[in-house]
Amino acid sequence: MKSLKKVLYSQKAAPYVFVLPFLLSFMFFWIYPLFSTVKMSFQSILPGQVEWIGLENYQKLLKDRVFHLAIKNSFTYMFWTLVLLIPFPMIYACIMDGKLVKAKGLFKALLYLPALTSVVVAGTMFRLMFAEMETSQMNQIVQWLGFGPIKWLKGKYTGMFALLLVACWRWTGVNMLYYLSGLKNIDNSLYESAEIDGASGFKKFLYIQLPLLKPTTIYVLTISIYAGLAMFLESFMLWNGNASPNNIGLTIVGYLYRRGIEKNQLGYASAVGLVLLAIALFINIIQLIWNGTFKKEER
Amino acid sequence: MKKKLLSMLLCIVMLASLFAACGKKDDADNKEPGTQQGNDEGTDEGNDDAGDEEGEATAITTVGPDSGTKMEMWTFVELHSQFYAEMLNLWNEQNPDKQIQITFTTYPYGDMHNKLLMSNQAGTGAPDLCDIEISQFPNFMQGEVQFRELNEFVDKYRDDIVPARLEIYSKDGKEYGAPTHVGATVMFYNTEILEKYGVDYTTIKTWDDYTEAAKKVAEGSNGEVYMTSVDTGGTDWLWVAMAEYGEDYTTDEGAPNIELQSIKNMLNMQKGWLDEGLAIVSPGGHVDLEEGFANLGDGKIASFPKAMWFMSRFLNYLPEMAGKWAIAPCPVFEEGQPRSVGIGGTGTVVSLQSKNADLAAEFITFAKLSYEGNVKIWEVLGFDTCNTEIWSDPEITSDTSNQYIAYFVNNPFDALNEIKDEIGVIKVGKINPAISEQFNLTILNNVFENGADIDEELKMAQEQLELEDY
Amino acid sequence: MGKQENSFEIEKKVGMALKTRILSVIATSFFAALGIIVVFPFFVMVIASFRPGKDIIRYGLALQIDFDVMSFKNYKYLFTGNHAYFTWFKNSLVLTLLSVVLTLIVCYFVAYGLSMYKFKLRNFLFFLVIATMMVPFEILMLPLFQEMIDLKLIDTTAGVILPGLVSASTVFFFRQYMMGLPHELLDAGRIDGSTEYGICIKIMLPITKPAFAAMAILSSMGAWNSMLWPLLVYRSASKFTLPIGLNTLLTPYGNNYDLLIAGSCFAVLPIFAIFLAFQSYFIDGMTAGAVKG
Repeated sequence: MKSLKKVLYSQKAAPYVFVLPFLLSFMFFWIYPLFSTVKMSFQSILPGQVEWIGLENYQKLLKDRVFHLAIKNSFTYMFWTLVLLIPFPMIYACIMDGKLVKAKGLFKALLYLPALTSVVVAGTMFRLMFAEMETSQMNQIVQWLGFGPIKWLKGKYTGMFALLLVACWRWTGVNMLYYLSGLKNIDNSLYESAEIDGASGFKKFLYIQLPLLKPTTIYVLTISIYAGLAMFLESFMLWNGNASPNNIGLTIVGYLYRRGIEKNQLGYASAVGLVLLAIALFINIIQLIWNGTFKKEER
Repeated sequence: MKKKLLSMLLCIVMLASLFAACGKKDDADNKEPGTQQGNDEGTDEGNDDAGDEEGEATAITTVGPDSGTKMEMWTFVELHSQFYAEMLNLWNEQNPDKQIQITFTTYPYGDMHNKLLMSNQAGTGAPDLCDIEISQFPNFMQGEVQFRELNEFVDKYRDDIVPARLEIYSKDGKEYGAPTHVGATVMFYNTEILEKYGVDYTTIKTWDDYTEAAKKVAEGSNGEVYMTSVDTGGTDWLWVAMAEYGEDYTTDEGAPNIELQSIKNMLNMQKGWLDEGLAIVSPGGHVDLEEGFANLGDGKIASFPKAMWFMSRFLNYLPEMAGKWAIAPCPVFEEGQPRSVGIGGTGTVVSLQSKNADLAAEFITFAKLSYEGNVKIWEVLGFDTCNTEIWSDPEITSDTSNQYIAYFVNNPFDALNEIKDEIGVIKVGKINPAISEQFNLTILNNVFENGADIDEELKMAQEQLELEDY
Repeated sequence: MGKQENSFEIEKKVGMALKTRILSVIATSFFAALGIIVVFPFFVMVIASFRPGKDIIRYGLALQIDFDVMSFKNYKYLFTGNHAYFTWFKNSLVLTLLSVVLTLIVCYFVAYGLSMYKFKLRNFLFFLVIATMMVPFEILMLPLFQEMIDLKLIDTTAGVILPGLVSASTVFFFRQYMMGLPHELLDAGRIDGSTEYGICIKIMLPITKPAFAAMAILSSMGAWNSMLWPLLVYRSASKFTLPIGLNTLLTPYGNNYDLLIAGSCFAVLPIFAIFLAFQSYFIDGMTAGAVKG
C-alpha cells in the first residue's frame, strides 16, 4: 500500500496521473464513439434489425445530390467566414491597439456582446429581422435605400448573406480580442525602433504586426475552419428548423442531423459524419503543414 | 469603478431571478395536487386556452388518482393533453377498478418525434402513450415496430370509424395508431372580400370557375387583393389534385412516382395564376404559419384550401375575423371528380416498452374512438371526427353556442356532409417524408419562385427519390 | 533666425497634434459606428420585447417605437406568468456552474501534466489534444448518445457534462499559458518538501489565475449557450436549460413570442455579468495563453 502511494507520488508517475483524465475521456468519449461510428457506417440500423451492408451507405452518398449541396454550402460558408473573420478583426485590433482610440473598454465589451448571446436567441432575432414582410428590419433598410422588399431567407445568395451576417456579428469581437492579445505580446521596442526609422502606421502594420501575429492567425484559422465546417445551429435557428427552401441553409452537420436524428438512419448518418471528419482533418492538416506548425512541434 | 458597479448590479439581478425560480417551483408543487384530484377545472382551462397563446410553454401535468396505474404520455400540442385529461377523468369515473394516472408532457414538435425515435432505437425511455404526427409516422414503421398492435382494442369501435383513418396508421394489417380526425380538405372563402368584388363562392364548382373569380378579384382590387396564395412549403394543393384524379405519388409497392398528370396540372394552373397576378406565393411557404395568419388577417387573399382542423387556427389567431369566412368543397378540374382529401392527423401509439400496454391501449381507444371521445374531440379541438355519426347528430351540429359553429358564415357540418363520401385518401408510406421534403424544399420553390420547368423539376426529384430506400 | 526655426518647430508639433487628434476622432468614431451596428439587433430586440407577440408575428422584427402598443406586459408575464422560464434559467445556471468549475479544474491538471513535466508520451499526447480539437463534436454525437444510453446516463446532468469535461481547447490554452511560467518554481517547491500535487495546487495554481479567468469566460459562454447535446441527453422537461426551453416556444402550432423575446433579453444578462466581472483578466489571460502558438 505504502509503496503504491510512493509510486503515485513520484516525479515519474505524477505526469501520468495528471493526464489520466484526458486519456480516459479520449478513450471513452472519442476513440470508442469513433469506432462505433465507423462500424455503423457499414450498417443499416433499424429497431431490432441491424444488417451489415458493406459500402452501400457510401455508394449512396456519392449519388446523393442533397449531400453534395450540403458540402458545397458548408464550404462556401467556411470560405467566407475565413475571408470576413480573419483580416477584418485583425485590422480592427491593430487600430484598437494604438493610442488613437478612446473608450477602448467600452468598445471591446460592445463588440464581444454578441458572442455571449445564445445561437437560439441570435438566430431567432435575425430570422425575424430578415422576415419577408415589408415591415421587417432588413426590408425597411433596403426600402430606405430605394429597393423593393426582398425574400431574404428564400434566395440562395441572400440566405447565405444572412448566415454570414450572423457569423460576423457574433464572431468579429471574439476574433478581435484574440488579435488584441496577440498584439500585446509584441515587444514595444520594435515599435520604438520603427518610429525612429520614421515608419508610417501602415508600414508598422505590414512589417511588424502582420508577421508577428502569425501564431494568432494560425489559431484563429484553425478554430474558424472547425466552426465553419461544423456550423449547424445557426442555420437551424435562422430557418426555424432544419428545413430551408431549396436546402440553401443545409450544412453537412445539418444533413447528419436530418439523417441520423430526424429520419433515424444511423448508418447513413455515420457515413456522412465520417466524410466530414475526413474533410476537417484533411483541411486542417494541410493548413498546419503549410504554416509549419508541425516542424515547430518536433523541435 | 462603473464597470464593477454594473456587474454587481447584474449579479444581483441574477440572484433575484434565482429566487424567483425557487418561488416558481413552489408554485408548481402546490398546483399539482390540485390537478391530481381530477376536478372539472381542466375543462374550463382547455377552452380558455384555445383563444390564448400564453399557455404554449412546455407543460407537465399529472391527472388521475395516485392509486391508479401510473403512465406517461407525450404530446406535441398542449391542447391535445387537455383533451386526454378530460377523457381520462371520464375513464376513471366509468372504470373505478381500472383507474389510471397519467403524467402528460408537451414537447416541441420536432424534439418529441426525435426523442421517441431514439427511445425506440435504444429500447428504453419511451413513454407509455405518445402522439405521432402523420407525416412522421412512417419513420416509426421501419424495422420491427416498437408499438403495441391495437386491432383487438379498436374492434369495439370499428364500425363507427372511417376505415381509411385506421389504415394510415397501420403496417401489414396491424393497426398501431388511434386516429384523431379525418382532416377533410375544404376551401375557406373570405366572403367579405368576394362579395366586394361580386363573386359568389357557392357558384365556384371547377378550377376554371375559380380562375374566373380570381380575375374578378384581381381586376376589382387593381391587383391589391389576390384570390389565393400558392404554397412553396406545403403539398396540400397537390394532395387535392391527386385525390381529384384518383392518383397517388407513391405506388402500391411504396415506390415514389411523382411525375403525375394531376400534379402537373395543378402546378401549371398555379404557375399561370402567378404569371397573371391572380395569386401570390404564400409568405413563409404555407398558410399555417405566422406569416400566413398575418396575410389572412390583412385581407390579402380571398381563399385557400386547407383541412378542417384549420378552423381552430382562425379562432386562435384571427378572432377579429369572425363572421367573414365560409367553408365550401374544393373546386375540381372536371365536374364529377371527388372534392376533398384527408390531410394531416395524429396517431396515438402505445409503446411496447410500457408495463401496462393493454390498459393503455384500452384507454386510448376509448378516448379517441368512442362516441363520447369524438364529441370531446369536436368540442375541445374542433376537428372533423373519425366517427362520422357526430357530423349528423343534430344536438352537436345545430349547437350555435359552439365556438367553431359560431365563427363561420355557414355551418361547417353542412360542408362536411356535402363531401362526406368524396374524401380521398393518399397513402403515407416510408418514402413520404422524403417526397414531402423534395416538394417543400426544392420543387415548389424552384417552380414558383425561380421559374423552373415543371416537368424537368419533377423528373430530377424523381431520380433523387429513387435513391432512397422504400 | 533661431526664433523663426522655433516657431516652425512648434507649428509642426501643433500640426502633428492636430493630425493625431483628427485621426483619433476618426478611429474612435469608426469603433463607435461598429459598436452601434453590433448593438443594433439587441436594441431592436429590446424594443420588440415591449411589444405584443402578435405584432411581431404580423410585422416581423423592426425598430418601430410606437408607444401606443408598447407595454411591460411581456415582462410582467415573464416574472409572474405561469410558465417554466425560471426553471430553465435555474437549470442553465446550475449546469453552467457545474460544468465550468469541473472543466476548469480537470483541464488545469491535464495541462499541468502536459506542460510541467518532460515524459515520453508528452508530445504524442499533445498531438492527440490538437487532433481532438479539430474534429467537430457533431460527428460523434450519435454514437456518444448511444453510449450514454448504455451507461444509463441519459437524462442526467452527468451525461451532459462528462463527454465535454476534458475540453481539448481548454487544455490547449492552459498548456500554452503554463509553458510560459517559470519551471524553476517546481524545483523550489520540491526542495521545500512539497509533493508533486502540492506544488501543482499550492504554488502553480495561484499564478495561473489569469488563464482561469479567460477560460471561465469562454467555457461559461459555451455551457450557457450549448443546446444540441443537452437537447439529446435531457428527456424530462423539468431539466430543460434556457436554450432548449426558449426553442420549445417555437412550434409549428404557434410561437410564443411574448415570452420568447422578453426571455431572450433576460437570458443575455448573466453571461454579460460574468464577462464584465472577468473582462480585465480576460485579455491578460488570453495574451499569455493560446496565441503564442
